Amino acid sequence: MSGFTAALSLLGVAVLGVAGVYGAARAFRVSHGPLPAQPFGSGLEPAEHAVSRFHVRWYTVTMLFLAFDMEMVFMYPWTLVISVMGPSAVIEMFVFLAVLLAGVVHAWREGALRWT
Amino acid sequence: MDLTAVVLRAAAARPRVLLVTVPGGTAVRLAAERALRSRDWPSASTPAGADLMVVAGPDCPPLRSALDRLWQDMPQPRARVRAQAPDDVSSVLDAARDRLRSPGRSRADVRGTADGNGHSDRGHPGDRGVGGGVPRAGDPAAEDGGPGSGAYGEPPEDGSRGGRPGGRQGAVGAHRAAPDDRRGGHPDPHDTAEHGDDRRADHGGQGGNGEHGGRADPGGGSGGHDGHGNGGMELPGGLPMAEQGEDRDGLTLDRLHVPLGPLLADWPAGLTVRLVLQGDVVQEAALDGPPACTSTDLFWTRPWTRAAAGEPVAVGEAARRRAAARLDSLGRLLSVAGWPAEAVAARRLRDELLAEAPASAVLPRAERLARRVGRSRTLYWLTRGIGPLSTADARAAGVSGPAARAGGDVPARYRRWLADVVDDVRQSDDTAPLDPVAQESPRGRWDAARPPSVALTEALPGLLVGAELGAARLIVASLDPDPDELAFRRAEVARG
Amino acid sequence: MVEAGAWWTVLAAPAILFGLAGLAVVGDAALDARGAGRPLTPGTAVRPLLAVSRALLAQPRRLPAPDRLLWRAGVITVPVAAVLSTLVIPFGGHVVADLSVGVVWFNAMEALTWAGLWLAGWGPNAAFSLIGGYRFLAQGLAYELPLMFALISAATGARSLRVTDIAAAQHGLWYAVWMPFALLVHLAAVLAFSFLGPFAYPAGRDIAGGVLGETSGADRLLLQAGRWLWLAAGAAMAVPLFLGGGAGPGLPAWAWSLVKTLLVLGLLVWVSRRLPVIRADRYVELAWVVLLPPAVLQVLVPALVDLNL
Repeated sequence: MSGFTAALSLLGVAVLGVAGVYGAARAFRVSHGPLPAQPFGSGLEPAEHAVSRFHVRWYTVTMLFLAFDMEMVFMYPWTLVISVMGPSAVIEMFVFLAVLLAGVVHAWREGALRWT
Repeated sequence: MDLTAVVLRAAAARPRVLLVTVPGGTAVRLAAERALRSRDWPSASTPAGADLMVVAGPDCPPLRSALDRLWQDMPQPRARVRAQAPDDVSSVLDAARDRLRSPGRSRADVRGTADGNGHSDRGHPGDRGVGGGVPRAGDPAAEDGGPGSGAYGEPPEDGSRGGRPGGRQGAVGAHRAAPDDRRGGHPDPHDTAEHGDDRRADHGGQGGNGEHGGRADPGGGSGGHDGHGNGGMELPGGLPMAEQGEDRDGLTLDRLHVPLGPLLADWPAGLTVRLVLQGDVVQEAALDGPPACTSTDLFWTRPWTRAAAGEPVAVGEAARRRAAARLDSLGRLLSVAGWPAEAVAARRLRDELLAEAPASAVLPRAERLARRVGRSRTLYWLTRGIGPLSTADARAAGVSGPAARAGGDVPARYRRWLADVVDDVRQSDDTAPLDPVAQESPRGRWDAARPPSVALTEALPGLLVGAELGAARLIVASLDPDPDELAFRRAEVARG
Repeated sequence: MVEAGAWWTVLAAPAILFGLAGLAVVGDAALDARGAGRPLTPGTAVRPLLAVSRALLAQPRRLPAPDRLLWRAGVITVPVAAVLSTLVIPFGGHVVADLSVGVVWFNAMEALTWAGLWLAGWGPNAAFSLIGGYRFLAQGLAYELPLMFALISAATGARSLRVTDIAAAQHGLWYAVWMPFALLVHLAAVLAFSFLGPFAYPAGRDIAGGVLGETSGADRLLLQAGRWLWLAAGAAMAVPLFLGGGAGPGLPAWAWSLVKTLLVLGLLVWVSRRLPVIRADRYVELAWVVLLPPAVLQVLVPALVDLNL
């Protein structure tokens, strides 16, 4: 069994389990007709659709996060080659990280990590 | 089918309870919380996750439509009961469990949902006339009743699905359906009003009730949506999309209108704050008037009202009640802060104090709670700077109690409560007579004309604007106006 | 090269994960009962599992204009991703598939819950759910990077992304001993991606259950199961990464794996009750300013050790 086969088999087992839960729920539910309901509004009716352009005040954090996340893409292979590449690999990676961390400090001082 | 019965019994052994308190229902709520805790029936915060709706407290007509809204959103199998007195709680819960576990009844209830005969009289024949039959003059919902009445005019199946606020016609339709009395299937010794019935068409009450009355009801499937409001434009689900508004930086952004209350877990019962949210930040906050529940049952301030009426009351009794009231507030605050383990600890202490446990037994545990919560750096870090209310501002707003003495943010207020609780437990055996003016009542200096919770409530909107939603909940919980006092004041005003 | 375990591991891994998650639920219920002053018997501790029967009975609900497809997809993603993460978690000497990029696989599955939970919040078209979904994204922005650095610390120490290699590389000295901060960050992140205890922010009581608020029946069951499955998976992953895997005297490897996983799980369940919910608007600042620099320095430690060898 190869890794792919194993992953797909595990996915199959998980999906079967989920299907089993939904199937059992379908078999046991006391009422098959769906209940027309309203989203919870503390007892009041909703005034409008909730899906909207949500104002995420932390969007600057997402920019920071993206920078680090791209860095992670390099860091995973980096772990494998440290001993081959020698000190230069470590120095380069940590200089890069230091640059990113300087960016974090700057963003922090600018108040990007607070949004309320 | 036997297997279904087994599953039903298993589920009914631990129903999730939507405990809804009505102003004036504090004593019942306390009894219910105690019973649910000892039975291990967990609390649900929304109808979707609940099996059982327990209404604690007396009937309050203005809240009926809100209660019905929650009830209509609960999926089968479900049960709804009301406890009017603390002694009823246990038997009412037993009855509810029996109803949840008996498949026949659940099926019958389902049939009620399906064929739309759920709406009918509710054991208060007169109330329908008051709540739904008399729409306010000029109410858009009532004006809009034309298409709505069409929906009701159709056979009952459709009426049930299309149950939408229809104003006069809708209410008439509901009355017409009334004679088929499903309540006969559910004999309950405690309350004929609050039953496992589906009041699907029970929207007359909402139609006459407020600005939301004109909205179409549960999505799809109903015949009543078309041509309804908004210039005849068809709206998905009968609702408009979010509108836009300027935020504090002048950006035009989507905003949502989200009410907090009247019936929300860990929230002063009946209080409604209408929020305008951009993202999860409160842009505007407006206080609805308290619901016109005219309860005069003041649980937390009873020693003070009795003493004011000339009865002899011991200081110890008042101190005990005050400590319990603040533990109750703490329980709510800790629950909102997402610390259920300590919320349970505070509520257990509260119940023991009310059960007249000796001070010597309660004191060490009160001190332990004060240490754990009061000295928690995490809780302090999470709540500091939220909802600052200086002593001077508080006094100017008429706030007198611990909120004014604390003079600070949320942690200042909960630490004040904790310190007061320990002090009060120490003097809970004091037998000196109570001076209702000199001794502070739980929320502040007692004044029957203007109970201290009124000022607390009025201080809320200003504090909420600009807060993140979670912080807004913490602010309300840290001031914690007593809904009974608001209802009491309402009753006093009504009496003139 | 990819090695995969015997065919039965595909069934055993989810089964063990369910067992562990169930034990965590039972342990939490026992602590609940103690806190509430209820008598503590085996019967009371398993009562939360009755939620399964409730979920099967519930009538489906139909909200106005929900995004049903995305909602369902999100709800299913959370538990399925938790189960898939067990692909690379060794249990004693057995593993379903010993991928050469096992750490990345685990990380990727965990990141899937971001999508899953956000979709679960978006789908029902309800304000509190929506806020809950976005809350998880904010929380993710805070916990994710320290977690990635914690995972990379262990991988750097073993110079491999293969989880069994990492476990084997700790012969004699667990990474928990010389990378304690990475372990700490990993455990906090486990609570965060299972949105339990102090990180139950997306499902907070203050927003009426948030992402869980509009779910009922099977959907609710799957989301709740997803939380505990993730808790169990995260605890199980901590063992090969930081606690030497199945290594230990006397007992067979699987028994050591089990014992260590249960200890980690017990610790997580206990800690989760001792803290209030940490709101992301406070946690983001802490995570980026206080947790991130030491997490980066933590990677430097094994990197320097690698060079000396």
